[in-house]
Amino acid sequence: MKRILLAVFGILALAVATLTPAFAQSKGTVYYLVPTLLDEFQTGSVTALELFLKQVGYDIKTLNADNKTDAQQSQMNDVIALKPAAIILAAVDFNALKPSIEAARAAGIPVVEFDRQITSTPSDFTSVAGTVEIGHIAADQAEKLLKAKNGSVKGKVLQVLGDPGDPYTLDIQKGFEEKMKAFPDVKIISLPAMQWEASNAGTIVADQMLANPDIDLIFSHAAHLSVAAVASLEAAGKKPGDVMLMSSNGAPVGLDLIRKGWLNVEVEQPLYAQAAAVAMFMDKVVKKQEIKPGDYDVLGLKSTVTKEAWGPNIKIPGAAITKENVDNPAFWGNQKPPTDTVKSVE
Amino acid sequence: MNPRTRQTLEFVLDNLVWFMLVFVLVVFSIFIPNYFQLGIFANIIEASSVLGVMSIGLALVIIAGHMDLSVESVAALSAMAVGILFCSSGIGLGVQLHPEWLMVPVSLLLALTVGGLIGAFNGFLVVRVKMSAFIITLASYIWVRGLVLVISGGRSAQDLAPAIRWFGIQRLIGLPLTAWIAIACFVVFSLIMAKTPFGRHLVMIGGNETATFRAGIRVNRNLIIAFVLAGAIAGLAGWLLAIRTSGATANLGVGLLFNAFAAVVIGGVSLKGGVGTLPGVYAGVLLLSAINTAINLMGLPANFTQVIHGLLVLAAVLLDAFKQTIRQRLA
Repeated sequence: MKRILLAVFGILALAVATLTPAFAQSKGTVYYLVPTLLDEFQTGSVTALELFLKQVGYDIKTLNADNKTDAQQSQMNDVIALKPAAIILAAVDFNALKPSIEAARAAGIPVVEFDRQITSTPSDFTSVAGTVEIGHIAADQAEKLLKAKNGSVKGKVLQVLGDPGDPYTLDIQKGFEEKMKAFPDVKIISLPAMQWEASNAGTIVADQMLANPDIDLIFSHAAHLSVAAVASLEAAGKKPGDVMLMSSNGAPVGLDLIRKGWLNVEVEQPLYAQAAAVAMFMDKVVKKQEIKPGDYDVLGLKSTVTKEAWGPNIKIPGAAITKENVDNPAFWGNQKPPTDTVKSVE
Repeated sequence: MNPRTRQTLEFVLDNLVWFMLVFVLVVFSIFIPNYFQLGIFANIIEASSVLGVMSIGLALVIIAGHMDLSVESVAALSAMAVGILFCSSGIGLGVQLHPEWLMVPVSLLLALTVGGLIGAFNGFLVVRVKMSAFIITLASYIWVRGLVLVISGGRSAQDLAPAIRWFGIQRLIGLPLTAWIAIACFVVFSLIMAKTPFGRHLVMIGGNETATFRAGIRVNRNLIIAFVLAGAIAGLAGWLLAIRTSGATANLGVGLLFNAFAAVVIGGVSLKGGVGTLPGVYAGVLLLSAINTAINLMGLPANFTQVIHGLLVLAAVLLDAFKQTIRQRLA
């Protein structure tokens, strides 16, 4: 009986060893500290990072900070004690995490900034779409839409921000308003949807459509806010196309609204490319090798690595999604992860 | 002071929050461009529907001398359950029932059941196991929101079935049906609190639980019913929230709890229990909604809005405290 049991265990052990090569080939565990999971971009980032990092040989574990800075600081401390191959950080608060980044690097653990750029302290690699740049792209699109509607770039824009305590939305606002300054005939009304909560955005739109019925364009800083904005417009008797709409982040709900004719433009954050870039450079980050500046191809997008005061930084351009290109599978909102395998940069 | 003056003064004090509401509406109408119009007043009532319904359940439990911190998360879970089943985009399963109108009672029943079950769970632990309502409902506030995240995977459901969404679009005398539902809830529960033994017993329990028990009133049963009602009403708030936003996101309703507490306190309900009426709570809800609308229309820089909101709420609460001082002097 003992022999039979031993033989069974032996076969099982062999099967496990041969069927799970990832374990055998793992280059180490990387921790991803995600700011929140209450938003589709963030949940998508977990899936994308898992997919791409596994392709280059790393195991990944994710910790959710629930949008709390103190929780993320504690997670950083805990993870430092575990001595992982690297930490990927999408910071809840850009400045508050600075000491934690320094502590991790002092302990010899490389830190990669993902999606949310921290410039106040060096890190080993940064992969961002550029929130200010998203604002710039949105402004370019607003310029086109207003010109097409009013003959010249003039009119009224309602900008529905996210939570005013989140630097992410403030950066988009900065980029948007920076570029729109060139058009003095455009009046921008900016109001925050506290805590990124959709019904707050709905209320803002309902109120503003009464106070300023001549609003030409509504720009929400996230697609899920546009869903509530559309619900308010619908309740006010509006039809698709009556008021122009734009939002940013490229979430699935935003793409659906484009297909239904409500949303004119969605400024996408290139989630897949951002995550793929992290995987492409992870070997260099872990081995602490130099990351050379220059142009790289990330999932078909031309991306540029620059050497900044805070370390090597890859910026991947966001794209404007319209009715013409909405079905392009490259957009993460279409939920079709790339089939091409990511390879480490030599 | 002659009896008539005293009577008038007491009437004003009893309904102070309504006078505050009128005062605030007049001031905003004078000083904020575009505020004075029927559409804006309709918006105030419409925007207050979710918060109003949620505040009813919270007020019932607070009047009974306890607390329910879970109402916000319960509303979110109910909204997500309705969203997942009856939305056709995102994570919505797009369940269709025939005839279509059946989706209304079924979705409503689902929301009420989800809320009622969590309320019963809270009530059981607080009343039967004798645990602190604050701790138990705080735990529920956390785990129920976590459950929303688990069942949604952080994604959203959108495009609520038109038969249900109809309530958010159709208007009756200028108000969407969701607002009428909230108003009807206030009328029904105000009557229950004022005219039925259950309502009167809740007030007595909140005032002095031991004395009420010794008077032969079934304290535990009434308290459990109050918790179940608070949960079910929060479920209804979630149903309205899903209608209002045509679906559900994982962070739907975040922050509503604090507004509900503010509305209940401004409305004259004592956090110590035993004092308060639901019409007062409705006035508190409308007052908050009027303030929010004013902030929306003032076009202030985004980072100032929360400070102004907080200060206006503080002013309302201070006025309420002033009311208590005058009342003591009258006594």
